Amino acid sequence: MEATIFMPIGFGLIVIGASLGIGKFASAAAESIARQPEAADKITGAINLPLFLLEGVAILAEVFTFLMLIL
Amino acid sequence: MKTMILSDEKNTGSSVMDRVGENIIHHVSNSDITHPIVHLPQIFGVDMSVTKHVLMLWITAFLLSIAIIIPVRAYLKQNNFIPSGIANAIESITQFIRDSIVAPNVGPKWVNTWTPLMLTFFFFILFANGIGMVPIFDVIGVINRFVLNVPYEADHNFINGLLHGGVTATGNFNVTAALAIITFFSIMIAGTKAHGFINHWKNLVPSGLAWPIYIILIPIELMGLLVKPFALTMRLAANMTGGHIALLALLSLTAIFAEMFHSAAAGIGVALISVPMAAAISGLEIIVVIVQAYVFTLLTAVFVGMAINVHH
Repeated sequence: MEATIFMPIGFGLIVIGASLGIGKFASAAAESIARQPEAADKITGAINLPLFLLEGVAILAEVFTFLMLIL
Repeated sequence: MKTMILSDEKNTGSSVMDRVGENIIHHVSNSDITHPIVHLPQIFGVDMSVTKHVLMLWITAFLLSIAIIIPVRAYLKQNNFIPSGIANAIESITQFIRDSIVAPNVGPKWVNTWTPLMLTFFFFILFANGIGMVPIFDVIGVINRFVLNVPYEADHNFINGLLHGGVTATGNFNVTAALAIITFFSIMIAGTKAHGFINHWKNLVPSGLAWPIYIILIPIELMGLLVKPFALTMRLAANMTGGHIALLALLSLTAIFAEMFHSAAAGIGVALISVPMAAAISGLEIIVVIVQAYVFTLLTAVFVGMAINVHH
Protein backbone atom coordinates (compact mmCIF):
# COMPACT_ATOMS: atom_id res chain seq x y z
CA MET A 1 0.00 0.00 0.00
CA GLU A 2 1.51 3.28 -1.07
CA ALA A 3 1.49 6.00 1.55
CA THR A 4 0.81 8.60 -1.12
CA ILE A 5 -2.73 7.24 -1.55
CA PHE A 6 -3.62 8.85 1.77
CA MET A 7 -2.16 12.21 0.84
CA PRO A 8 -5.44 13.70 -0.46
CA ILE A 9 -7.10 12.60 2.80
CA GLY A 10 -4.38 14.45 4.68
CA PHE A 11 -4.95 17.57 2.62
CA GLY A 12 -8.67 17.31 3.31
CA LEU A 13 -8.12 16.97 7.06
CA ILE A 14 -5.84 20.01 7.05
CA VAL A 15 -8.42 22.04 5.17
CA ILE A 16 -11.19 20.96 7.57
CA GLY A 17 -9.11 21.94 10.59
CA ALA A 18 -7.98 25.25 9.18
CA SER A 19 -11.45 26.21 8.01
CA LEU A 20 -12.98 25.36 11.39
CA GLY A 21 -10.37 27.54 13.06
CA ILE A 22 -10.84 30.45 10.68
CA GLY A 23 -14.62 30.12 10.97
CA LYS A 24 -14.40 30.40 14.75
CA PHE A 25 -12.22 33.48 14.46
CA ALA A 26 -14.57 35.12 11.99
CA SER A 27 -17.71 34.37 14.00
CA ALA A 28 -16.18 35.56 17.26
CA ALA A 29 -14.92 38.74 15.63
CA ALA A 30 -18.26 39.43 13.95
CA GLU A 31 -20.16 38.91 17.20
CA SER A 32 -17.87 41.11 19.25
CA ILE A 33 -17.87 43.85 16.63
CA ALA A 34 -21.68 43.69 16.55
CA ARG A 35 -21.73 44.14 20.31
CA GLN A 36 -19.16 46.92 20.40
CA PRO A 37 -18.83 48.57 16.99
CA GLU A 38 -16.55 51.27 18.40
CA ALA A 39 -13.94 48.61 19.32
CA ALA A 40 -13.79 47.22 15.77
CA ASP A 41 -10.20 48.36 15.19
CA LYS A 42 -8.93 46.80 18.38
CA ILE A 43 -10.77 43.54 17.71
CA THR A 44 -9.39 43.34 14.18
CA GLY A 45 -5.89 43.91 15.51
CA ALA A 46 -6.33 41.28 18.17
CA ILE A 47 -7.56 38.55 15.85
CA ASN A 48 -5.04 39.27 13.08
CA LEU A 49 -2.00 37.68 14.68
CA PRO A 50 -3.53 34.36 15.82
CA LEU A 51 -5.28 34.14 12.46
CA PHE A 52 -1.97 34.29 10.63
CA LEU A 53 -0.36 31.86 13.07
CA LEU A 54 -3.22 29.44 12.35
CA GLU A 55 -2.70 29.93 8.65
CA GLY A 56 1.00 29.24 9.14
CA VAL A 57 0.27 25.96 10.91
CA ALA A 58 -2.06 24.88 8.10
CA ILE A 59 0.46 25.84 5.43
CA LEU A 60 3.23 23.98 7.26
CA ALA A 61 1.05 20.88 7.43
CA GLU A 62 0.29 21.10 3.73
CA VAL A 63 3.95 21.55 2.87
CA PHE A 64 4.92 18.51 4.92
CA THR A 65 2.14 16.46 3.36
CA PHE A 66 3.29 17.55 -0.07
CA LEU A 67 6.91 16.70 0.80
CA MET A 68 5.77 13.19 1.72
CA LEU A 69 4.39 12.88 -1.80
CA ILE A 70 7.54 13.93 -3.62
CA LEU A 71 10.17 12.45 -1.28
CA MET B 1 -0.23 28.71 -19.41
CA LYS B 2 2.20 29.55 -22.13
CA THR B 3 4.85 27.14 -20.94
CA MET B 4 2.15 24.48 -20.96
CA ILE B 5 1.50 24.96 -24.65
CA LEU B 6 5.19 25.03 -25.36
CA SER B 7 6.19 21.83 -23.65
CA ASP B 8 3.12 19.99 -24.90
CA GLU B 9 4.90 19.97 -28.20
CA LYS B 10 8.19 18.92 -26.69
CA ASN B 11 7.28 15.56 -25.16
CA THR B 12 4.36 14.26 -27.15
CA GLY B 13 4.99 10.70 -25.95
CA SER B 14 3.46 10.82 -22.46
CA SER B 15 -0.20 11.40 -21.59
CA VAL B 16 -1.68 14.84 -21.01
CA MET B 17 -2.09 14.22 -17.27
CA ASP B 18 1.64 13.63 -16.83
CA ARG B 19 2.57 16.63 -18.91
CA VAL B 20 0.15 18.92 -17.04
CA GLY B 21 1.61 18.01 -13.66
CA GLU B 22 5.12 18.42 -15.00
CA ASN B 23 4.28 21.81 -16.43
CA ILE B 24 2.76 23.08 -13.21
CA ILE B 25 5.85 22.10 -11.22
CA HIS B 26 8.01 23.51 -14.00
CA HIS B 27 6.13 26.79 -13.87
CA VAL B 28 6.37 27.41 -10.11
CA SER B 29 9.90 26.15 -9.49
CA ASN B 30 13.15 27.90 -10.26
CA SER B 31 14.84 27.34 -13.60
CA ASP B 32 17.43 24.58 -13.80
CA ILE B 33 20.97 25.59 -12.88
CA THR B 34 22.19 23.78 -16.00
CA HIS B 35 20.09 26.14 -18.15
CA PRO B 36 20.76 29.53 -16.55
CA ILE B 37 19.78 32.77 -18.22
CA VAL B 38 23.23 34.31 -17.82
CA HIS B 39 26.31 32.10 -17.42
CA LEU B 40 28.69 33.31 -14.73
CA PRO B 41 31.84 31.61 -13.40
CA GLN B 42 32.01 29.77 -10.10
CA ILE B 43 33.19 31.77 -7.10
CA PHE B 44 34.42 29.74 -4.10
CA GLY B 45 32.72 26.66 -5.53
CA VAL B 46 29.32 28.39 -5.76
CA ASP B 47 27.81 28.67 -9.22
CA MET B 48 26.95 32.34 -9.63
CA SER B 49 24.89 31.84 -12.82
CA VAL B 50 21.69 33.85 -13.00
CA THR B 51 18.57 31.69 -12.93
CA LYS B 52 15.00 32.88 -13.32
CA HIS B 53 14.40 33.74 -9.69
CA VAL B 54 17.66 35.66 -9.44
CA LEU B 55 16.63 37.65 -12.49
CA MET B 56 13.28 38.34 -10.83
CA LEU B 57 15.08 39.55 -7.69
CA TRP B 58 17.06 41.95 -9.84
CA ILE B 59 13.93 43.21 -11.54
CA THR B 60 12.33 43.62 -8.11
CA ALA B 61 15.32 45.62 -6.91
CA PHE B 62 15.21 47.77 -10.04
CA LEU B 63 11.48 48.47 -9.71
CA LEU B 64 11.88 49.19 -5.99
CA SER B 65 14.57 51.74 -6.67
CA ILE B 66 12.38 53.44 -9.26
CA ALA B 67 9.17 53.36 -7.23
CA ILE B 68 10.51 53.92 -3.71
CA ILE B 69 14.09 55.14 -3.47
CA ILE B 70 13.97 57.89 -6.13
CA PRO B 71 10.71 59.52 -4.84
CA VAL B 72 11.98 59.33 -1.25
CA ARG B 73 15.30 60.97 -2.22
CA ALA B 74 13.42 63.66 -4.11
CA TYR B 75 11.16 64.21 -1.10
CA LEU B 76 14.12 64.52 1.24
CA LYS B 77 15.78 67.08 -1.04
CA GLN B 78 12.84 69.46 -1.25
CA ASN B 79 12.40 72.25 1.26
CA ASN B 80 8.81 71.84 2.40
CA PHE B 81 7.35 68.77 4.08
CA ILE B 82 4.44 68.37 1.67
CA PRO B 83 4.83 65.17 -0.35
CA SER B 84 3.87 65.19 -4.00
CA GLY B 85 2.97 62.47 -6.47
CA ILE B 86 4.00 58.95 -5.52
CA ALA B 87 5.55 60.18 -2.28
CA ASN B 88 1.98 60.54 -0.94
CA ALA B 89 1.38 56.81 -1.31
CA ILE B 90 4.75 55.94 0.19
CA GLU B 91 4.08 58.25 3.13
CA SER B 92 0.70 56.70 3.89
CA ILE B 93 2.13 53.16 3.75
CA THR B 94 5.09 54.19 5.89
CA GLN B 95 2.82 55.75 8.46
CA PHE B 96 0.57 52.69 8.50
CA ILE B 97 3.51 50.35 9.08
CA ARG B 98 5.05 52.55 11.74
CA ASP B 99 1.86 53.30 13.64
CA SER B 100 -0.10 50.05 13.36
CA ILE B 101 2.55 47.37 12.92
CA VAL B 102 5.81 48.43 14.53
CA ALA B 103 4.81 50.84 17.28
CA PRO B 104 2.27 48.61 19.12
CA ASN B 105 4.65 45.63 19.09
CA VAL B 106 8.11 47.08 19.51
CA GLY B 107 7.18 49.94 21.81
CA PRO B 108 7.75 53.71 21.59
CA LYS B 109 11.43 53.58 22.54
CA TRP B 110 12.65 51.38 19.68
CA VAL B 111 10.10 52.19 16.99
CA ASN B 112 12.46 54.35 14.93
CA THR B 113 15.18 51.72 15.14
CA TRP B 114 13.09 48.94 13.62
CA THR B 115 10.68 50.71 11.26
CA PRO B 116 13.23 50.92 8.39
CA LEU B 117 13.78 47.15 8.45
CA MET B 118 10.04 46.45 8.47
CA LEU B 119 9.50 48.89 5.61
CA THR B 120 12.24 47.17 3.61
CA PHE B 121 10.63 43.78 4.23
CA PHE B 122 7.19 45.07 3.32
CA PHE B 123 8.12 46.79 0.08
CA PHE B 124 10.47 44.05 -1.08
CA ILE B 125 7.98 41.25 -0.44
CA LEU B 126 5.10 43.26 -1.89
CA PHE B 127 6.99 43.94 -5.12
CA ALA B 128 8.43 40.44 -5.44
CA ASN B 129 4.98 38.90 -4.85
CA GLY B 130 3.28 41.36 -7.15
CA ILE B 131 5.61 40.76 -10.07
CA GLY B 132 4.69 37.09 -9.83
CA MET B 133 1.13 38.01 -10.80
CA VAL B 134 2.24 39.82 -13.97
CA PRO B 135 2.57 37.25 -16.77
CA ILE B 136 5.00 39.42 -18.73
CA PHE B 137 7.39 36.60 -19.62
CA ASP B 138 4.55 34.42 -20.82
CA VAL B 139 3.41 37.21 -23.15
CA ILE B 140 6.96 37.63 -24.44
CA GLY B 141 7.07 33.85 -24.91
CA VAL B 142 3.85 33.90 -26.96
CA ILE B 143 5.31 36.59 -29.22
CA ASN B 144 8.58 34.67 -29.45
CA ARG B 145 6.84 31.42 -30.33
CA PHE B 146 4.07 32.53 -32.70
CA VAL B 147 5.32 35.82 -34.16
CA LEU B 148 9.07 35.21 -34.36
CA ASN B 149 8.56 31.43 -34.87
CA VAL B 150 11.32 30.28 -32.54
CA PRO B 151 10.78 26.56 -31.81
CA TYR B 152 10.53 25.32 -28.22
CA GLU B 153 13.60 23.10 -28.68
CA ALA B 154 15.91 26.10 -29.18
CA ASP B 155 17.55 25.88 -25.75
CA HIS B 156 20.03 28.67 -26.40
CA ASN B 157 17.37 31.20 -27.36
CA PHE B 158 17.39 33.91 -24.67
CA ILE B 159 13.60 34.21 -24.43
CA ASN B 160 13.15 30.45 -24.28
CA GLY B 161 15.64 30.54 -21.41
CA LEU B 162 13.39 33.10 -19.71
CA LEU B 163 10.49 30.67 -19.84
CA HIS B 164 12.30 27.96 -17.89
CA GLY B 165 10.85 28.23 -14.40
CA GLY B 166 8.52 30.48 -12.47
CA VAL B 167 8.44 34.19 -11.91
CA THR B 168 7.60 34.63 -8.21
CA ALA B 169 10.95 35.01 -6.51
CA THR B 170 9.28 34.79 -3.07
CA GLY B 171 7.82 31.43 -4.11
CA ASN B 172 11.33 30.04 -3.80
CA PHE B 173 12.16 28.66 -0.36
CA ASN B 174 15.74 29.93 -0.60
CA VAL B 175 14.63 33.53 -1.02
CA THR B 176 12.19 33.43 1.88
CA ALA B 177 14.73 31.55 3.99
CA ALA B 178 17.17 34.41 3.44
CA LEU B 179 14.48 36.90 4.52
CA ALA B 180 13.68 34.79 7.59
CA ILE B 181 17.37 34.60 8.53
CA ILE B 182 17.41 38.40 8.53
CA THR B 183 14.42 38.24 10.91
CA PHE B 184 16.25 35.70 13.09
CA PHE B 185 19.29 37.91 13.48
CA SER B 186 17.22 41.03 14.01
CA ILE B 187 15.50 39.26 16.91
CA MET B 188 18.95 38.56 18.38
CA ILE B 189 20.16 42.10 17.78
CA ALA B 190 16.96 43.62 19.20
CA GLY B 191 17.24 41.59 22.39
CA THR B 192 20.94 42.29 22.74
CA LYS B 193 20.53 46.02 22.20
CA ALA B 194 17.66 46.27 24.67
CA HIS B 195 18.92 44.02 27.46
CA GLY B 196 22.57 43.18 26.79
CA PHE B 197 23.89 39.91 25.42
CA ILE B 198 23.72 37.80 28.58
CA ASN B 199 20.32 39.11 29.67
CA HIS B 200 18.85 38.52 26.22
CA TRP B 201 19.60 34.81 26.47
CA LYS B 202 18.43 34.75 30.09
CA ASN B 203 15.15 36.32 28.96
CA LEU B 204 14.38 33.30 26.79
CA VAL B 205 12.96 31.51 29.83
CA PRO B 206 11.15 33.09 32.78
CA SER B 207 13.25 33.25 35.92
CA GLY B 208 12.36 31.99 39.36
CA LEU B 209 10.80 28.62 38.51
CA ALA B 210 11.60 25.30 40.11
CA TRP B 211 14.68 23.77 38.44
CA PRO B 212 13.04 20.66 36.90
CA ILE B 213 10.85 22.88 34.74
CA TYR B 214 13.92 24.35 33.05
CA ILE B 215 14.90 20.89 31.75
CA ILE B 216 11.75 20.94 29.60
CA LEU B 217 11.49 24.68 29.06
CA ILE B 218 14.97 25.48 27.75
CA PRO B 219 14.85 22.99 24.83
CA ILE B 220 11.33 24.14 23.96
CA GLU B 221 12.36 27.78 23.90
CA LEU B 222 15.47 27.01 21.85
CA MET B 223 13.31 25.09 19.38
CA GLY B 224 10.86 28.00 19.27
CA LEU B 225 13.78 30.25 18.37
CA LEU B 226 14.36 28.22 15.21
CA VAL B 227 10.71 27.46 14.45
CA LYS B 228 9.83 31.17 14.18
CA PRO B 229 11.97 31.89 11.08
CA PHE B 230 11.17 28.43 9.69
CA ALA B 231 7.44 29.13 9.85
CA LEU B 232 8.00 32.53 8.22
CA THR B 233 9.91 30.85 5.39
CA MET B 234 7.30 28.20 4.78
CA ARG B 235 4.32 30.53 5.07
CA LEU B 236 5.46 33.01 2.45
CA ALA B 237 6.89 30.52 -0.05
CA ALA B 238 4.02 28.04 0.24
CA ASN B 239 1.41 30.78 -0.09
CA MET B 240 2.97 32.18 -3.22
CA THR B 241 3.53 28.75 -4.76
CA GLY B 242 0.12 27.41 -3.78
CA GLY B 243 -1.82 30.21 -5.45
CA HIS B 244 0.03 29.74 -8.70
CA ILE B 245 -0.50 25.98 -8.60
CA ALA B 246 -4.24 26.51 -8.10
CA LEU B 247 -4.37 28.93 -11.04
CA LEU B 248 -2.45 26.62 -13.35
CA ALA B 249 -4.44 23.56 -12.28
CA LEU B 250 -7.68 25.35 -13.14
CA LEU B 251 -6.34 26.38 -16.54
CA SER B 252 -4.96 22.89 -17.16
CA LEU B 253 -8.47 21.44 -16.83
CA THR B 254 -9.02 22.64 -20.39
CA ALA B 255 -6.27 20.38 -21.73
CA ILE B 256 -7.26 17.47 -19.46
CA PHE B 257 -10.93 17.52 -20.52
CA ALA B 258 -10.06 17.91 -24.17
CA GLU B 259 -7.87 14.81 -23.89
CA MET B 260 -10.41 12.81 -21.87
CA PHE B 261 -13.28 13.32 -24.34
CA HIS B 262 -11.06 13.47 -27.46
CA SER B 263 -12.65 16.70 -28.64
CA ALA B 264 -11.69 20.33 -28.66
CA ALA B 265 -15.30 21.28 -27.87
CA ALA B 266 -15.05 19.69 -24.41
CA GLY B 267 -11.92 21.68 -23.73
CA ILE B 268 -13.50 24.93 -24.85
CA GLY B 269 -16.64 24.17 -22.82
CA VAL B 270 -14.57 23.64 -19.67
CA ALA B 271 -12.57 26.77 -20.47
CA LEU B 272 -15.82 28.78 -20.32
CA ILE B 273 -16.00 27.84 -16.62
CA SER B 274 -12.36 27.46 -15.65
CA VAL B 275 -11.06 30.70 -17.13
CA PRO B 276 -13.51 32.93 -15.17
CA MET B 277 -12.69 30.87 -12.08
CA ALA B 278 -9.00 31.41 -12.72
CA ALA B 279 -9.70 35.12 -13.04
CA ALA B 280 -11.49 35.04 -9.68
CA ILE B 281 -8.57 33.15 -8.10
CA SER B 282 -6.27 35.80 -9.57
CA GLY B 283 -8.28 38.40 -7.69
CA LEU B 284 -7.86 36.34 -4.51
CA GLU B 285 -4.15 36.09 -5.27
CA ILE B 286 -3.85 39.86 -5.40
CA ILE B 287 -5.29 39.98 -1.87
CA VAL B 288 -2.87 37.21 -0.83
CA VAL B 289 0.05 39.18 -2.30
CA ILE B 290 -0.73 42.17 -0.09
CA VAL B 291 -1.69 40.13 2.97
CA GLN B 292 1.48 38.03 2.88
CA ALA B 293 3.68 41.12 2.71
CA TYR B 294 1.71 42.50 5.66
CA VAL B 295 1.93 39.22 7.58
CA PHE B 296 5.68 38.86 7.17
CA THR B 297 6.18 42.42 8.37
CA LEU B 298 3.73 42.01 11.25
CA LEU B 299 5.25 38.75 12.48
CA THR B 300 8.78 40.14 12.26
CA ALA B 301 7.63 43.13 14.30
CA VAL B 302 5.94 40.82 16.83
CA PHE B 303 9.04 38.64 17.22
CA VAL B 304 11.34 41.64 17.56
CA GLY B 305 8.89 43.11 20.06
CA MET B 306 8.88 39.85 22.02
CA ALA B 307 12.65 40.05 22.36
CA ILE B 308 12.47 43.67 23.53
CA ASN B 309 9.39 43.65 25.79
CA VAL B 310 9.76 40.39 27.67
CA HIS B 311 6.51 39.23 29.25
CA HIS B 312 7.62 36.93 32.00
